Amino acid sequence: MYKILEKKEVAMRNVWYKVHAPHVARKVQPGQFVIVRAFKNGERIPLTPIMWDREEGWITLMTFIRGKTTMRMANELKVGDELLNVAGPLGNPAEMKKLGRVLAIGAYTGIVEVYPIARAWQEIGNDVTTLHVTFEPMVVMKEDFEKAVGRHIVEPVPMDMTKDMRENMKNVTKRLTEKVRELLETEHFDFVFMVGPTGDQKAVFQVVKEFGIPMEADLHPIMVDGTGMCGSCRVTVGGEVKFACIDGPGFDAYKVAWDELIARTGYYTDMEMLAMQEYMKALQGGEQ
Amino acid sequence: MAVKRKIIKERVPTPERPVEERVKSFVEVNLGYTFELAVKEAERCLQCPYDYAPCIKGCPVHINIPGFISKLVQYRDDPHRAVKEALNVIWACNSLPATTGRVCPQEDQCEMNCVMGKVGDKINIGKLERFVADYARENGIEDELLFEIVPKIEKKGQSVAIIGAGPAGLTAAGELARLGYDVTIYEALHEPGGVLMYGIPEFRLPKDIVESEIAKLKRLGVRILTDHIVGRTVTVEELLQEYDAVFIGSGAGTPRLINAPGINLNGIYTANEFLTRVNLMKAYLFPEYDTPVKVGKRVVVIGAGNTAMDAARSARRFGAEVIIAYRRGEDDVSAREEEVEHAKEEGVKFEFFVNPVEFIGDEKGNLKAVKFERMRPIEERDKRGKRKIVGTGEYVTIEADTVIIAIGKHPNRLIINTPGLKVERGRIVVDENLMTSIPGVFAGGDAIRGEATVILAMGDGRRAAKAIHEYLTRKREENA
Ligand SMILES: Cc1cc2nc3c(=O)[nH]c(=O)nc-3n(C[C@H](O)[C@H](O)[C@H](O)COP(=O)(O)OP(=O)(O)OC[C@H]3O[C@@H](n4cnc5c(N)ncnc54)[C@H](O)[C@@H]3O)c2cc1C
Ligand SMILES: Cc1cc2nc3c(=O)[nH]c(=O)nc-3n(C[C@H](O)[C@H](O)[C@H](O)COP(=O)(O)OP(=O)(O)OC[C@H]3O[C@@H](n4cnc5c(N)ncnc54)[C@H](O)[C@@H]3O)c2cc1C
Ligand code: SF4
Ligand code: SF4
Ligand code: FES
Repeated sequence: MYKILEKKEVAMRNVWYKVHAPHVARKVQPGQFVIVRAFKNGERIPLTPIMWDREEGWITLMTFIRGKTTMRMANELKVGDELLNVAGPLGNPAEMKKLGRVLAIGAYTGIVEVYPIARAWQEIGNDVTTLHVTFEPMVVMKEDFEKAVGRHIVEPVPMDMTKDMRENMKNVTKRLTEKVRELLETEHFDFVFMVGPTGDQKAVFQVVKEFGIPMEADLHPIMVDGTGMCGSCRVTVGGEVKFACIDGPGFDAYKVAWDELIARTGYYTDMEMLAMQEYMKALQGGEQ
Repeated sequence: MAVKRKIIKERVPTPERPVEERVKSFVEVNLGYTFELAVKEAERCLQCPYDYAPCIKGCPVHINIPGFISKLVQYRDDPHRAVKEALNVIWACNSLPATTGRVCPQEDQCEMNCVMGKVGDKINIGKLERFVADYARENGIEDELLFEIVPKIEKKGQSVAIIGAGPAGLTAAGELARLGYDVTIYEALHEPGGVLMYGIPEFRLPKDIVESEIAKLKRLGVRILTDHIVGRTVTVEELLQEYDAVFIGSGAGTPRLINAPGINLNGIYTANEFLTRVNLMKAYLFPEYDTPVKVGKRVVVIGAGNTAMDAARSARRFGAEVIIAYRRGEDDVSAREEEVEHAKEEGVKFEFFVNPVEFIGDEKGNLKAVKFERMRPIEERDKRGKRKIVGTGEYVTIEADTVIIAIGKHPNRLIINTPGLKVERGRIVVDENLMTSIPGVFAGGDAIRGEATVILAMGDGRRAAKAIHEYLTRKREENA
């Protein structure tokens, strides 16, 4: 089992964990992920190692509190507790090659997944600009990025408490696409990379496409095993069915069937909401 | 002089849970024999001589069937002893009898040519085997036997890595541990058991049985590392440096898909995904268990093997109307007889000679219907002797909100990409000793056969263990 060595809520709804997982730490490369199972009756969820120490045998993870599992992890796990399972590393490492001037984009907590890749690209001699667009109270890892890449841009979007989440998120998408357009219009980039919600990936891709710049996106379909055995993570890329967990997670954005992926990622939304509601009810019940 | 015995033509039936009850739950359908019933069934066996007995020949691992059956009759006044002796006979050839007794296609193997079949019902070998294993487990007899075995193990000072904790890997591990090797299993998932854990449903093979088989291995000193994906966490080459030999039992886990438009619509599951959600992740207990699964009002299962039956019967338990759609005819159904019967009893419907050509979705990307082409058989036969089928140009559309694809699986890709490992059509190539093209690396089970059976995988595990033992003995002698 995998002990939680440190844990912090580093920003609103962003929880950071340092976990003892020597088998992953020994092997993981930028672009790979792990599958975590935190509770006996819990789900297996994919998360991304951000930093690691091969000798000391730890990795760090950041979860965005999104639904029941990430919420339960935040509420119930303490330093010294153990994650039941950390399987990995999974997926293919990002390609380490000379790309030139790179724009690496993270929307919301997606930025943490950009970190190991952007840092490694910078290290091998690329000129990497990272762009983080998220709500103001959710900005994370600013100093880490500033140390690791050529330039780090943060675009914090204020939250309008009078409006619902959906409206607020539209503002993030808007700022994201505007900023990407501005950067591509005023500067030269050879390559764009992005992690974030699929809808935002698609929106950014549509901008990038106008400039004809190559773009890769790390895809986040729903996964179960992460080892190529179930097919839950299948996406259509270039007209072919691919399994994101073993063929990806990075794919050429020009070839991804975005609308299909968006539909697939939303398939369980109603049940996820139900699980969350039941959990909240149980929490409230427990407090009485 | 042999005592003249009365021939009892009819099988002693095993009690089953009533249909109304079982379609509402995942508890086991067949309840198995009690000791009294088992003895009654055992008495029917004619005790054919060892060299002749067709049942032994039919069993892929050649269990001494009349041998274990006779113990039940011989010690009928002492159930504990009867079962212990019987289990000892079975264990000589098969370390997972609680499982095989439940899932072997007995009608095509041990029971196929049972002599009793000429005068009446064949002996219910599978259920007797299951009874012995269950009784032994529940009454501490397995523990007693292990207690006798473990101290006698002589450590060899060599180690073996096993990839995959399915029946092939588990059997190889058990045999090698008994021979005195240090054994470590590398398993990708969070639970060992392979298909027994993630594929075959609770109502057919309760998971506590699989867990107890694994506990037995741990008592033999086998170390199991879950969450380790060979090919990612560690490579075969690295394992070869750390261990004296490697056995690959990674199964055939990659689902085959249908090459038809709409395959990625929401509502289309591979059987692997559906069954993994339901069995391994216990989605039938959602939201108490966190993993969701969506079973619509009408479910179409494509395929007609064991996997298709398991998927169909699982879907029935969510209250769905379920149709099994198969491109061939009823005679070609490859599932175990008992499963087909149970599926029918539970209200699963069958549609034969239909081949899916298109999945039709709504504007949200959710499945609505499946378009099939009607097929017809022709006289020509394929390699396996099945009649070939051809399209008729006639189409039929069946409405469905869920489709489960159960048309087979390929071996796992991560392993077969190992440099130097010879692979043909996705299957690892082995010699007569089950050694692969890499010296010291052996393989068995679905990884070399494509989709086969539990007992064949176990047979391979046992054979490979023997070959590994010989290989490592030579190595020891060379180094001595
Ligand atoms: C390769 C990969 C790497 C990821 N890395 C990170 C990371 O570093 N940090 C992070 O916060 N999140 C990451 N995610 C997303 C993370 O897996 C989901 O946030 C998490 O599963 C949500 O679970 P939940 O129970 O809290 O929410 P739920 O309410 O269950 O789901 C909310 C949404 O999360 C997504 N999701 C749910 N279950 C899964 C699943 N099994 N697989 C994939 N997506 C799912 C779906 O879009 C869903 O609508 C990654 C996803 C992938 C595929
Ligand atoms: C739904 C279903 C029902 C079935 N019903 C029957 C039945 O009734 N009777 C019968 O005889 N047969 C049945 N079968 C077939 C039978 O289960 C298989 O033939 C048998 O399990 C094969 O055993 P195995 O050990 O070779 O592989 P598996 O049981 O597939 O086990 C392989 C193991 O290796 C692990 N693994 C894979 N890749 C890696 C890797 N890279 N690193 C580490 N671990 C890895 C997997 O996670 C898995 O645990 C059924 C199959 C299915 C899917
Ligand atoms: S292992 Fe299978 S084939 Fe052999 S006797 Fe048992 S049930 Fe029959
Ligand atoms: S063939 Fe049938 S009757 Fe003969 S020993 Fe085997 S089980 Fe008994
Ligand atoms: S998550 Fe199961 S195949 Fe990719």
